[in-house]
Amino acid sequence: MTYTVALAQVNPACGDLEYNVKMHIDQAERALEAGADLIVFPELSLSGYLLKDQTLDVMRRADCLEFAGLCELSRHIAICAGFVEEGEDGIPYNSALFMDAGEVCHVHRKMYLPTHGMFEELKFLGRGRELSVFDTRFGRTGIVICRDLFHPLEVSTMAALGVELLLAPSAMPARGFGGEELGIEQTVGLALGSASTFLGMFVVYVNRVGFDDGLGFYGRSALSDPVGGITVSAPRFEAVQLLGTVDTSHIARHRYQLPIRREEDLEIVRHALETRRNS
Amino acid sequence: MTMDTLALNNTLVEDYLKRFIQEELHTSGFTEACIALSGGLDSALVLKLAVDALGADHVHAIFLPYKASSDESRRDARTMFEFCGIPWQELDISGMADAYLALQPGIDRLRTGNLLARLRMAVIFDQSKKENALVVGTSNKSELLVGYSTWYGDMACAIMPIGDLYKTQVRSLARHLGLPQQVIAKPPSADLWAGQTDEGEIGVSYETLDQVLYLLVDQRCSSAEVSSEGFELDLVQRVERKILTSQFKRVSPPIAKLSQRTVGIDFLYPRDWRK
Repeated sequence: MTYTVALAQVNPACGDLEYNVKMHIDQAERALEAGADLIVFPELSLSGYLLKDQTLDVMRRADCLEFAGLCELSRHIAICAGFVEEGEDGIPYNSALFMDAGEVCHVHRKMYLPTHGMFEELKFLGRGRELSVFDTRFGRTGIVICRDLFHPLEVSTMAALGVELLLAPSAMPARGFGGEELGIEQTVGLALGSASTFLGMFVVYVNRVGFDDGLGFYGRSALSDPVGGITVSAPRFEAVQLLGTVDTSHIARHRYQLPIRREEDLEIVRHALETRRNS
Repeated sequence: MTMDTLALNNTLVEDYLKRFIQEELHTSGFTEACIALSGGLDSALVLKLAVDALGADHVHAIFLPYKASSDESRRDARTMFEFCGIPWQELDISGMADAYLALQPGIDRLRTGNLLARLRMAVIFDQSKKENALVVGTSNKSELLVGYSTWYGDMACAIMPIGDLYKTQVRSLARHLGLPQQVIAKPPSADLWAGQTDEGEIGVSYETLDQVLYLLVDQRCSSAEVSSEGFELDLVQRVERKILTSQFKRVSPPIAKLSQRTVGIDFLYPRDWRK
């Protein structure tokens, strides 16, 4: 099976749901016209990133009226977008929804919310505690939001649970201007390379652009293919929408050539954890 | 630790800072920028970045001399106006400064310097209202960290594009952007009296200061560790003290908390707050 994914490297307006919903619909319609089957937006794309106390004002249920138009559009194109989710427990979560066929099929709550240095996510948001592994028409799909991608244990576990398509919406600020590329780009490159090369997944990494106060988001969204490497690479700093092709036959081909998945033995991990716990 | 450690990819930095200026103005609903030009390197660089980001028609620069300002400052400011293709604007602050200074016999150089910086601030903010513009600040990271700047004077602005660049990085970016050599090469000076230089005032060259700051601030080294990199312990401790004693300039004044939500403590919104 081959399908087309649109990487929406956009600049959401901080705290302006109305503007952002309209921007999502425009982007999704454009992607649909271009023949995309799936469009992926960055982290917190519907709400904006540096919300602080606006978090309370913009938190919504995934099935809220404001997102109904977007959900309707998902009858024609699957959509992965970020928002502040109002949990059933009344807690705001940094979440990403997956809509398809006119329904919200899945919501992932970010598990690892950076709270150090320039980041203060846990000050305002609750922590998700579940890996997101769910079946879609694109195969077994997983979602990791920004920092989640930097936790190899979780990404490896998702691979072990059969994930073939990993969606990685992000809001990564630029830093490290000393080299040919930004320092943070190299870090992300390692994570993408490791997920595709060792775990045999397609990864759709979509990072936003623009500034929230002094934080500048650098873009460089990418599609990482287990066989072809980085097949789509968006420019730095620029708002763009790019299309990439996923050929799912690459997964089996890669796993045959480098059968790490076949060799994987979770019993070793289980045994190590149990031995450690009992010692 | 060498100066190479501080080297930046200036092509990336230029692109990033121009976008920062454009977007921060745009998000606040502005298209125009106002910059006080001193004839020195920092304001020259900020002017060039702003003109490249917004277009010469949207940048309002003004030279604000006092009667003691040097001829070189005027010459270099004029060179920058010409270099950027914007019309010369000058407003002499001697009259307003001297009206007050006449009432303060025996005022020392530091107080006079602060007064001039704050008068320039008052003028540039008024000009920004006239032009419906935002004031773009010209402070760099070296002076912000050691406090070599006037609180509510030259530090007052709406955005600070080069506030995370050390002085030596400012110089390198200026070279990358092709600024006139005479502006890049001259010794940095607040130009408050004849022969004054920053390095004379701070007591260390910017090359050394920036390396020490980088180790202390960016790398979080102890003064002993910085010293082991080949810098005199006494100098390192002096820089550390400057950082400490100027902290008040880098934060908003503390508010005594009484209510449920207090400005600056738990009334927390980004600057780019949009409702």
